Amino acid sequence: MVSDPKILKELQGIVGEEHATSDTHVMYAYSYDMSFVKNRLPGYVAMPKTVEEVQQIMKMANRTKTPVIPYTAGSNIGGLCIPEKDGSIVMDMKRMNKIIRIDEESRFAVVEPGVSHAELAEELYKRGLRFGWPVGPPSASVLSCAICHGIGGITGRYGLNSEQITSMEVVLPTGELTRVGSCAIQKDAWHSLLPLPLVGGLFTGWLGTTGVVTKLGIFTPAVPPHVEIVTTATDDLQDMYKYMLEFSRYEAADDLTAVSWWLSQVPIPYPYKEKPKDAPEWNSYAVLYAYTEKELEAKVEMFERTVKNQQKNGSSLQVTQYPEEAKRARTELPSQIVGSTKNYSKQAGGGISWPGTFTPANKWVPVWEKWREIYKKRNLSPSVRVTMYRGTHYGMLRAMTPINKQYPDQVENARMAIVEALKVLLDEGGIPYKPPVDFAKEIYSRADPGYVDLIKKVKDFLDPNEIMNPGKLWIR
Amino acid sequence: MEWNFRNVDDEGELNLKHFFWRCTACGTCRSGYTYGPPPTFRKICPQGEKFGYEGFFASKGKAALARWMTSDPVLKNEFEWTPEYLKTLYTCIGCAGCQNQCLIDFKPHIIDTIEAMRAKAVNDGVGPLKEHHILITSMKNNDNPYTGPRSVRAKWMKGLEGIKDINSESAPVLYFAGCTPAYNAPVKNLALKTVSVFNKIGIDYGSLGKKELCCGSTVLRLGARDEFKRIAEKNLETFKYLHDERGVDTIVSSCAGCYRSLLEDYSLSEGYKDYMDGIKVIHTADFLYDLYKKGEFEPKNEIKMKVTYHDPCHLGRHVKEWIIDWDGKEQWKGSYMGVEDHGTFESPRELIKAIPGIQFEEMRRNQNNSYCCGSGGGVKTAFPDWAAENAALRVEEAEQTGAEKIITCCPFCHANLNDGAKVRNSTLRTIDLVELLDEAL
Repeated sequence: MVSDPKILKELQGIVGEEHATSDTHVMYAYSYDMSFVKNRLPGYVAMPKTVEEVQQIMKMANRTKTPVIPYTAGSNIGGLCIPEKDGSIVMDMKRMNKIIRIDEESRFAVVEPGVSHAELAEELYKRGLRFGWPVGPPSASVLSCAICHGIGGITGRYGLNSEQITSMEVVLPTGELTRVGSCAIQKDAWHSLLPLPLVGGLFTGWLGTTGVVTKLGIFTPAVPPHVEIVTTATDDLQDMYKYMLEFSRYEAADDLTAVSWWLSQVPIPYPYKEKPKDAPEWNSYAVLYAYTEKELEAKVEMFERTVKNQQKNGSSLQVTQYPEEAKRARTELPSQIVGSTKNYSKQAGGGISWPGTFTPANKWVPVWEKWREIYKKRNLSPSVRVTMYRGTHYGMLRAMTPINKQYPDQVENARMAIVEALKVLLDEGGIPYKPPVDFAKEIYSRADPGYVDLIKKVKDFLDPNEIMNPGKLWIR
Repeated sequence: MEWNFRNVDDEGELNLKHFFWRCTACGTCRSGYTYGPPPTFRKICPQGEKFGYEGFFASKGKAALARWMTSDPVLKNEFEWTPEYLKTLYTCIGCAGCQNQCLIDFKPHIIDTIEAMRAKAVNDGVGPLKEHHILITSMKNNDNPYTGPRSVRAKWMKGLEGIKDINSESAPVLYFAGCTPAYNAPVKNLALKTVSVFNKIGIDYGSLGKKELCCGSTVLRLGARDEFKRIAEKNLETFKYLHDERGVDTIVSSCAGCYRSLLEDYSLSEGYKDYMDGIKVIHTADFLYDLYKKGEFEPKNEIKMKVTYHDPCHLGRHVKEWIIDWDGKEQWKGSYMGVEDHGTFESPRELIKAIPGIQFEEMRRNQNNSYCCGSGGGVKTAFPDWAAENAALRVEEAEQTGAEKIITCCPFCHANLNDGAKVRNSTLRTIDLVELLDEAL
């Protein structure tokens, strides 16, 4: 582990002696996450409480050319908070944990980085509001999920969580404070990024390499009082895709998702297990929210009409009954059931990784067919999920991959499967989200040179000393 | 006597590695979250909230400590004890709040892992902390952790009537008062009022008097397993003798720490079933509630007071038993479910509510998601200021209910919550359930 006592002293001078350390065993807890990404010990951890402290840390880091990695809960599945360079400062944002504002009437909230989904869920629920609660642990950060293009239970209706961002306050890598969106023009106006230039894009999807977001405004829509979950099964993804394509035309579902047989098992089989011949290969659920009973009835009718039409055209589609507990897990997010990682890790141990991607929906089938073979070859379950985002032109395609982190050879086996799967996906036009460096390498190797050049220019402009999560983009 | 303690680096089925490597570091353990509806979020880990770093937080942090201790397979670190590591290890109160939250296979062995790491520290000659040594030395010299001479142990019961000397007289019930009321003056009343309540109800019971020994819980929580074994084995022999020769079939403890130890820790000895055959271990709250349900007594005196109840960790979460829902018929496949009747949550509440005139108000964090007072795991001994500071947070929460008294069922919580009240200059005081009941009978 690399650490300089002078830097530690400076950090302690900024945040207080008790909130900065380089104790090795403390560093260790920040050196890994649940993904296949290899451990690396940071040099320091510092826990700022105020925006001013964040600015001071960034200024000091620039002066000393010390890498900084922003960290909230460390629960991403891409190793995004694991340092790529020795002697890095992990800036743990947990002490900045205020829900600054919930505007019930205008339906938006302003939060600091340390606010968890659990904490915001309680406060929003009291007010009849909600957010795109992800399939993640309740402890995960609302802010980090949104700026890393996380998805949630309302993605089918409203789009990605990053599309719900209404304003931002950001400390730039060089330590200056800036605001983007309406709050940049009037400090208490947090309602919209538009119609200003979309500079919020400089801080979303950049994996913590362009600045530290210290406040975030998010749209928090109302919770409709009526809900129904409709479920189906098919023999293959082709039939499932056709059903989802037709049903999504109605824009009736807040969440329209299908999972392969392996992902629907609790827990995911590890190692690979053959699917019973009589079991459908794909299962789906659609969460239908409505403000009136009539609206809900109309949505159910749309579903029934879709099913009838699909069956008439020879689809293997069947309406199924979901266990009540599984239904609850779909509407009561953030959920302990699906968010605890229990299902994903129970038979392996300590680890989960994925090729998590945004992929054109019409490419799901060819990618799936290749993924299934890749995973089977590596003795891993092809536990794949597909979700329609707002609109039908693209959606999520990912394979939750349990790993036994106690055994490095098993981790490497999973890593190789995932990277191989990723290459197949990129060939078909899919793009991975929250990508670890192994993915970034594949992305940028294939990228248009003009795009790579632009990314480098933006990064160099914002972070001239290359201190923000260096190495994470692979090209910088 | 053979003991089946688990270790962090054993081979075979007692090995904890298999479990702490199940932790995904998801962090669900960090908060007391119920998904409702309505969803509720509560801070649950005193150590994590105080010190902040991930390694201090809940079971996620403890898995990290254990992995570091037993060498990470990628980093291949050579573990060395440091004062900072020991501080992290010994500032965990062992409250099991994280255990209640965790849903993966680390869940049943989180506390085991913490205590196994401490046992390794003691075996390696670096643990516990120097502030704890006095406690262990006292245990060796006096059979109690309070540095009080053996002769003083029975002083609290001097002149009391109705309580038999079980050493020479037979009785079905042994009242195991524990060290704290005997040696810690501010909670002496707990034992006195237990006797008073038993007498009013007409229980046939006795005490070991000055022959009573510590249960050993405090030293076990620190990792001093040899000292625990010495005292536990003596106790087991005594209990068997009392059963065979004095007709004891029930041991009643008014201390949550003793209760957990006699019930859970002693069962790790291979001879437990033989020694304890025909003997039931029960906490005062459950013992009295069972009698109340049978109609053997009824609180009749009106007490016009608003009260709240603080769940002791060792009486609730610590003795909760988990079973796995293998086929998913009850909950979901492979999920952990709490076994009914394990963990004392309802008995004290029902007894409080049975008192005429009492107004009962729950604190925000209660039962499985109760917030620990901060006294356990050797924290009160090594970090008394922080223990009281943490208790002050709990007192503040109790104040928000408008209660005039906090009721609890553990002398450690009792004493520490009153220390916490002093920290925040609060007039809100904590009393034991039996003190309240005695007034109502």
